[in-house]
Amino acid sequence: MARSGRTLQRPRGRALRRLTLGILFLLAMALLVAQSAPQISQFFVPVRTAVSDRISAPAEAGLWARLSGQAARDRRIRELENEVRDLARYKEAAISMADRLESYEDMLNLLGEPPEKGVTARVTAETDGPFAQTVLANAGRLQGVEPGGIAVNEGGLVGRVIHLGQRSSRILLLSDYNSRLPVVGEVSGVRAILYGDNDENVGKIGDLPEDSEFIERERILTSGDGGLFPRGLVVGEVRRSGDGWRVRFSMRERRGGYVRIVAPMPIEAPPVSLETGEGLDTSGASATGEAVTTAASPAQGTR
Amino acid sequence: MATRPLSRKRKTLWSQAGPTPRLVFGSAIIVLVGVLGMTPKAIFGLPVAWPFAALWGAIGWGRVGLSLRPMFLLVLFGLAQDIISNAPLGCFVIVNLGVYALSAAIAEHTEGMRDPLVAIVGPGVLLLTAFLLVWLFASLAGNQAVRAAPLLAAFVVTGLTFAIAQQMYDLGRRPGDGPGQQT
Repeated sequence: MARSGRTLQRPRGRALRRLTLGILFLLAMALLVAQSAPQISQFFVPVRTAVSDRISAPAEAGLWARLSGQAARDRRIRELENEVRDLARYKEAAISMADRLESYEDMLNLLGEPPEKGVTARVTAETDGPFAQTVLANAGRLQGVEPGGIAVNEGGLVGRVIHLGQRSSRILLLSDYNSRLPVVGEVSGVRAILYGDNDENVGKIGDLPEDSEFIERERILTSGDGGLFPRGLVVGEVRRSGDGWRVRFSMRERRGGYVRIVAPMPIEAPPVSLETGEGLDTSGASATGEAVTTAASPAQGTR
Repeated sequence: MATRPLSRKRKTLWSQAGPTPRLVFGSAIIVLVGVLGMTPKAIFGLPVAWPFAALWGAIGWGRVGLSLRPMFLLVLFGLAQDIISNAPLGCFVIVNLGVYALSAAIAEHTEGMRDPLVAIVGPGVLLLTAFLLVWLFASLAGNQAVRAAPLLAAFVVTGLTFAIAQQMYDLGRRPGDGPGQQT
């Protein structure tokens, strides 16, 4: 009797489990399909950033660390490490180059790039799966990182902040498939767009002007077109590959596990004067500016 | 005449453990591997393929039939994977649950994967299904066919590590079975 009662319960339990599985499946499918709409997809960004904040939890000192003074010591060590890194960076000829550049700019009465301000952050997680090539850094809004911040390491440009949390930021790498970056050859002066190819070491060059060629192994820098990135950040070294050109990212050569996130420096459009028509959309200027901005924004825009 | 006592097979702690401790232990391993997977993975400059640890649970736990707790754990792991890998939410949930359901179905039709052929081919088929699903979702999300080689490497590593560690994902008995009814 008891046995028959139990055998009756078994199929019922199994049916319940199958029903639960089916419901979970449908919910997951619905969630997935709903995100095909950008508005709904944006709705989940705070969830992602909140989780990223938790992943970067080492930024938060524990109770024992606070009581024992370990937190203060760790903070001081981090500050000193940052300072040493900064000094080392300056030591590497940056000061002499900046001085020289300044003197040239003075001579030409040229308006240079505004001074950078930024924060150095530790890379706490890397994602190189099939979906996106990103890294997670343990600095966010509280540390002064701004949306769209530009990340560089000792080697050169790393990418751009796409998701920003209170204590973390997700940086879309230049190597991501969606990355588009306006670049210029250091010696040849040829301008082009650098495309990410989901290969963590190299990217491919496209949109080269006709009859323009890079010089083999010359350095590639950001051109500053579109105003999303400052001009002159080192991106890598260009090499010919088959019919096209490929850039070997310099960020991969010196990956110390830290990135410096500097604030974006958007160039403001001149005010529009309706009376005189000054600053209104003139074909030449607008075409160049807009075209490059459009090309560059998916580069490092949100997915 | 003195008779020698019958030699008994020594019971290990693992063989005495019920489904709950086994589930907790397996989950802890998945979380640990997942967290380690977020760190830079390169040896002498060469990138290392990292396993999709949640699939070990999906394959192993599915072998004893459907159960609610593994299901919810796989949903949680899936959401975590989605967030970590910046995938649209729900992708890895579907992959994990799909593999889990398929594993349970195979086990039901082959009486618990006891046949050596099924025990080898079964996980292979499950991993291939998971690979296709992940590749499909990644390609749809990125509007381009993503490179299959790194993904395939990750799945091969998942399969090889599962072959070694599959004992950790054996729940020991079917849900609802009493103690002592080993499947």
